[in-house]
Amino acid sequence: MWSYVSGVISLGLIYVIATVGLAVFTGFTGLFSLGHAAFFAIGAYTAAILTYFYGVNFYVALAMGGAAGGIVGLLIGYPTLKAKLRTDYFAIATLGFGEAIRVLLENLNITQGARGLPGIHTDTTLPVLLVVTSLVIWCAWNLIHSRHGRACIAIREDFVAAEMMGVNIFIGRLRSLVFSAFCAGLAGGLFAHYFGFIQPSMFTSYMSTQMTAAVVAGGMGSISGPVIATLIFIGIPEALRVANIWRLVAYGLLLVLIMIFRPQGLMGYRELSADMVKGWYRRIWKGGRA
Amino acid sequence: MSRAMETTPVLELRGVTKRFGGITACKDITFNVAKGQIMGLIGPNGAGKTTAFNLITGVYGLSEGAIVLEGKAITGKRPDLIVRQGIARTFQNIRLFRNLSVLDNVIIALDCHETYLLGASFLRLPIVVRREKAVREQAMAFLAAVGLEGKSAVRADAMPYGLQRKLEIARALALKPRLLLLDEPAAGMNPEESLDLARLIRKIHEDFKLTTLLIEHHMDVVMALCERIFVMNFGEKLAEGSAEEIQKDPDVLKAYLGEGFKRAQHPQS
Amino acid sequence: MFVQTLLTGLAIGGIYALMAVGYSLVFSILNFSNFAYGSIIMLGSYIAYFSMVKLGLPIGVAILFSILGAAVLCYLNERLAYSPLRKRRASSLFFMISAMGTAIFLENLVYAIVGAHFYAFPAVFTKSNITYHGVSIGVLDVFAIAFSFAAIYALHFFLQKSRTGIAIRAASYDIQVCGLNGVNDKHLIGLVFLLAGGLAGISGTFLGMKYIVYPTMGWITNKAYIAAVIGGLGSLPGAVVGGILLGVTETFVSAYVSSVVRDVFSFSLLVLLLMVMPTGLFGRFLEEKV
Repeated sequence: MWSYVSGVISLGLIYVIATVGLAVFTGFTGLFSLGHAAFFAIGAYTAAILTYFYGVNFYVALAMGGAAGGIVGLLIGYPTLKAKLRTDYFAIATLGFGEAIRVLLENLNITQGARGLPGIHTDTTLPVLLVVTSLVIWCAWNLIHSRHGRACIAIREDFVAAEMMGVNIFIGRLRSLVFSAFCAGLAGGLFAHYFGFIQPSMFTSYMSTQMTAAVVAGGMGSISGPVIATLIFIGIPEALRVANIWRLVAYGLLLVLIMIFRPQGLMGYRELSADMVKGWYRRIWKGGRA
Repeated sequence: MSRAMETTPVLELRGVTKRFGGITACKDITFNVAKGQIMGLIGPNGAGKTTAFNLITGVYGLSEGAIVLEGKAITGKRPDLIVRQGIARTFQNIRLFRNLSVLDNVIIALDCHETYLLGASFLRLPIVVRREKAVREQAMAFLAAVGLEGKSAVRADAMPYGLQRKLEIARALALKPRLLLLDEPAAGMNPEESLDLARLIRKIHEDFKLTTLLIEHHMDVVMALCERIFVMNFGEKLAEGSAEEIQKDPDVLKAYLGEGFKRAQHPQS
Repeated sequence: MFVQTLLTGLAIGGIYALMAVGYSLVFSILNFSNFAYGSIIMLGSYIAYFSMVKLGLPIGVAILFSILGAAVLCYLNERLAYSPLRKRRASSLFFMISAMGTAIFLENLVYAIVGAHFYAFPAVFTKSNITYHGVSIGVLDVFAIAFSFAAIYALHFFLQKSRTGIAIRAASYDIQVCGLNGVNDKHLIGLVFLLAGGLAGISGTFLGMKYIVYPTMGWITNKAYIAAVIGGLGSLPGAVVGGILLGVTETFVSAYVSSVVRDVFSFSLLVLLLMVMPTGLFGRFLEEKV
C-alpha cells in the first residue's frame, strides 16, 4: 500500500517541479504557453541518453536535462519574445515549437524514434524528489520576492506601465521562460528515471494542459496554489480511479469555469500561510470569524 | 526659486516631429526645460501634448528632430532605458499595478535602481535580504511624502481616485528622476482637489528640487504652478512664455483660457 | 507532377481558406484568437458524418445540418465562455485560457462519449477522379473547392451589400464606436460567431470527407492561424489568399521534400512571419488590447 501511495506522491512531486516553473511563466509573468511539455521531453531525453548511453552520474544528468531545457527555452524565446509578439501569437508559436520537437524526437536516431528509450535506471526515489522539489519551490519563492520577480509581475499587470518603471520587458519575459523551461527539463529528467522508459507519445498536449490547468486553478500569482492544485490533480483521480479521458474533460471545463467564476483560482495572489490555515480552521470548526 | 540661468537645460526638444501615416501629430516642436523649473504644456485635446510625452519617454519613435536629456541624446532609445536615465512619467488614465498593494507599486519603482544579480535573487543571499528591507523602508518614506503611508497594504485599485493619483505621483518620485512628466494629474478632480494637488506638486518641487513638465487642463493649477508655459495647437507651437505673458497673449486667450483664466486672476493660497 | 501538385494544393488551400476566413472574422471583430474554433470544425465534421451514417441522410442535408449545428455551437461557445469575460473587460490571457479550456473540453468529451475511432466518410465522391491530360483531381476536391469559394463569395456579398454586413465591417474597425452609433454589439458579435460557425461546419465536413474524422482533428486549425497570418490578420481577402498560398506551398513541400517536414515547415513559416512581417500581406491588427 505504501509503495502505491509513495508512487502517487512521487509522480505528483515531479509534476509540481514543472508546474512551479510554469507558474512563474504564466502565473507571474502572464505569458501563455501551449507547448511546455516539449521542455519536459527535452529534459527527459537528455538525462536518459546521458545515463543510458554515456554512463553519466544521475545527478549530473538531471542538471544537464534542466540545462538542456533552459538552453532550448533561450533559443526559442530570444527570437519570439524579441519580436514582442502579442500573447496569442506567442502561444501559437509555442504550439508550433512543441510540434517541431515532437517530430524531432520521433525521427532522430539517438532517441530511437517512436519506439522510445527503455531500460533507464530508476534512480528517482521519493527522498530525492522531496529534496529537489523543496529546492525548486524555495528558489521560485526567492525569485518572486526579489526585484527580478517583481519585474515579471509588473509585466503581467501592465507592461506599458512596467516599461515606464524601468523594466526591460524582453529580458524579464526571457528570464521567466528560461527558468520555467529549466524546471520542466529537470522534472523531465526525474520523470525518465522514475518510469525507466520514455517515448515521444508520453509528452503530449495532455501534459501541457494539465500543467496550465494547475497554474490557473491554483491561482496566477501564487506558488503554493499551483503546488496544491497539482497534487490534487494527480491525487484525486488516482483515489477515484477515474479514467484518463474524463480527467481531461474535467480540466477543460475547469479552465473555463475558473475563468468565468473565479479567475484568481484557489489562492489568488496569496500564498498558503499559517494565518490562512488558522482562519480556515476557525471558520470550519468554530463557525464564523473569530 | 532660481530661474533658468547658466546650466544645461534638463530637457531639450529640437524640431521634434511625429507623423502617423498621413497625420502629423507633432510638427517642429522646440523648447527647453531649465533645471529646477516647473513648465506647463497646455493646449486643447488633440493638440499633441500626450504625443509629446510619448515621444520624450520613447514609447513612439521620432519622425524628425531630436530629444536631449541633460546634454545626452535620448532619441530612439528604448523606453525603459530612458526611464533609467532619469525621466519619470505619470499617465492621463492612471496606470497603476491594480492588483498589487500600494506599497508594492512604489517598491517596483525603487527596484529600478537596484543592482543585485539574478543568482543572488535565487539563493536569497544576504545582500538581497538587506536591499529588500532597505527598499521597503524607502518606499514607506515616499508614501509618507504624499500622505499615503497609512494605506500601504491596501490594493491599489481599492483606493479612491484622488488617492490613486497621489500613488501614481509617489511611484514616479520613487524612480528618483531628474525630470518628472505629469500627464493631467488633476484630471477628473473638482476645484478643491485640484488645488490640493497643486499644493502637493509645489511641495514636492520644493522638497526634491525636481524639474517638472506638466500637461494640464485645469488652468488654475497651471497658473499657480508653472513658471513657463508652452502652448500647442494642432501639433504646432502656438505660444511660449511666462505665466503672465501667456495669460495676456491674445491668441491663447482667444482660444483657451476662458473660465480658467478668470479664476486664475484671483489670488491662490 | 507540377500541375498535379498545384491542383492538390489548391484543393486543400480552399479548405484552409474557409477555415482562415472563419477564424479571421472573429479575430477582426474581437481582436482575439479563438483557439476553440478547431473543435467547432471537428464537431461540424462529426455532425455531418452521423447525419449521413446514422440517419442515412443525403449529403446535401448532412452539410446543412453541419452548418447549422456548428453555427449554434460556435454561438453558444461565445455566449457561455467568452461574453462573461468581455463584460468584465478581462485581459486577453483569460480569453485564451477560456478558449483552450473549451477546446480541450469539447475534444475530450467527443473522445469519451463517441470513442477514439477514426471514422471515414462513406464514399460519396471520394473514389472518383477526373483525369485530363494525365493530371487527375478527385471529384471531392473539385466539389470542395467549388463549395468553399461559393461560401466565401456568399459571405463577401453579405458583408458588402447587406446592412448587417456593413455593420460587421464597421465593427471590425472599432466595435465601441459602432455601439455608439446604435448598432447592437451583442447581437453583432453573436451573429459573427454564427457565421464563423457555419463556415466551420462546411470546412469540417470537407476535411472529414477528404481525410478522416477523429476527435483531435480540430488541431488542423493551426493551419488556419498560419493562413490567416500570412494573409494578414483581420483581413478576410487576406485569409483567402493566405489559405490558398499555404495549401499550395505546403503540398509542394510535402511532394518534393517529405511529408514529415510538412508540418514543421508550416509552423516555421508561421513563426518566421510573426517575427518578420506580422501584418502579413494585407493585415491591420498589431496592438493587443491591454
